[in-house]
Amino acid sequence: MRDLPYRWIEAIQDRRDYIEDQLRLGSPVVGLPYEKGSLLLTVTKGAQKIFEVHDRIALSAIGHPADIERLRMLVTDTASVQAFQSATEDVNLHRLTHYVLAHTFKQAFEAIVGEAYIIKMLLVEIGNGDAKTQFTHINYDGNVNVHHESAVIGGTSEIENAMQNYLTNEQSDTETDLATTIQLALKTWAVGRVLSQRFEEAEDDTDVTEEQIDEIIKSELDEGEIEVGILDDSLSADTKFRILSQDEIQDLTNK
Amino acid sequence: MNHKGDFLSLLRHADILIDDTEVDSEMSEVNLTTERDLFGATPKPIRDALRLTSKGKTINGTTLEIPEATTVVAMRYQNGIIIAGDRRATAGTAVVHDRAEKVLPIDSHSVLAISGAPATAYEIARVLKHSFQYFRRSQLQELSVEGKLRTLSRLIRDNLPLAMQGIGAVIPIFALYSPQTDESENGGKIYFYDALGAHFENVDFATTGSGSIWIRGVLRYLDRWGDTRLEDMDQRMATITILRLLDTASEYDAATSGYNAKAEIFPTVKTITHQGIDTLSGDFLKDCYVEAT
Repeated sequence: MRDLPYRWIEAIQDRRDYIEDQLRLGSPVVGLPYEKGSLLLTVTKGAQKIFEVHDRIALSAIGHPADIERLRMLVTDTASVQAFQSATEDVNLHRLTHYVLAHTFKQAFEAIVGEAYIIKMLLVEIGNGDAKTQFTHINYDGNVNVHHESAVIGGTSEIENAMQNYLTNEQSDTETDLATTIQLALKTWAVGRVLSQRFEEAEDDTDVTEEQIDEIIKSELDEGEIEVGILDDSLSADTKFRILSQDEIQDLTNK
Repeated sequence: MNHKGDFLSLLRHADILIDDTEVDSEMSEVNLTTERDLFGATPKPIRDALRLTSKGKTINGTTLEIPEATTVVAMRYQNGIIIAGDRRATAGTAVVHDRAEKVLPIDSHSVLAISGAPATAYEIARVLKHSFQYFRRSQLQELSVEGKLRTLSRLIRDNLPLAMQGIGAVIPIFALYSPQTDESENGGKIYFYDALGAHFENVDFATTGSGSIWIRGVLRYLDRWGDTRLEDMDQRMATITILRLLDTASEYDAATSGYNAKAEIFPTVKTITHQGIDTLSGDFLKDCYVEAT
């Protein structure tokens, strides 16, 4: 098929359409910094979606659960071996994304005779010393985008743009406490969720009101629950990652 | 490849760890039938390694001076476990280091106190730490207490060829606190290992290393007939007791250091409680020494 460039491009486009269709209804994920570190937030209906990769690195993703699991293990194994072989300080998000994940995503996406990964991944690494906190968004085709202030993943690029715009308007210039940051992350997640449902009904309006945000949070939490993973730099242990309990989340969202 | 949370399997798959069967046959060659001790229970090479001879070990015509010897001690007290180790590393009659760390945190609620050859002991501690972390990260749950004990057993057993050569025996104490335990109860547990990897739970206390023979009886006496049982001691009283025990060991064992007042080198003392591991500060230990001596 590579002898016929047009057919190859067409096959890639078909594959892109298929993957995006599969991802469209995925529950968005929001990554934000707070005064003691960074957090990832999403709403799930059972399965865990936020994971510890290494001492200062966490990930979340939307997509097919089997693909998420396979790639989660790839990055966790690589980080664990690297840390043992040299030192934990030598494990960093830049190396994991650029030398392990990005080319794995791209290779699978472009090998049109094989299976592609149905996934969008968001990783966060809290800064150590002079290094800045980094949010890394990897698309199913291997494209990598690095952010320092915040990052989101949603079902489509339009959803992600709308969530990012909401964050730009609402995010404070100064670092906020955990409760305030979780509340902002939850509202940003809700913007993505409203649009996800709206696009499903073939509407293209991207304006979301505060009432719609409150309404969707209320209805989605009837069946699902908020999941928050934090990287807390103030912890004395080497491992900074922690999943917040449902009691903690309830206290923080009600503040 | 799915390693099911087994870090050693992951390392073998990554060609970082060689398989047991690939160990150099010359290094692992041991005659188990010769020179057994009085009861025939302990092969002589292991017994020699634990006896910590005063001269270097000769292997294949090369004499190695291997830092070794220690006193480490752990006991249950009111809030959990207190565990301590002296700071001296010796090779033969030479003191090679006086700030050695022999009480090593493995995860948020477990500690390994090492005696024997530091090179092997530190590597065992490192593999153990990575193993627990890898299990948690890959399997999304903490390794059980039994799983932790077996992982350490396996590492000690894998070290048998070196132990049998008399150059790498490690006899650790593994202490942990089970955070699931109700806060009104003491969730601290102390385990002692032999050189073959068998583990035994010591209910109230454990000690190992060349200086341990001088204080094991004292621990038994204190626990059985002391004014306050070890388990009923508060942190200050437990600290004073453990400092006195190390001081006693250093009095009779040249390979165990005491408190170096001039250089302010203290033993390492840690507590493991429901809240996690805490390293007692030099100022606190200095204050306790005033009362202890």
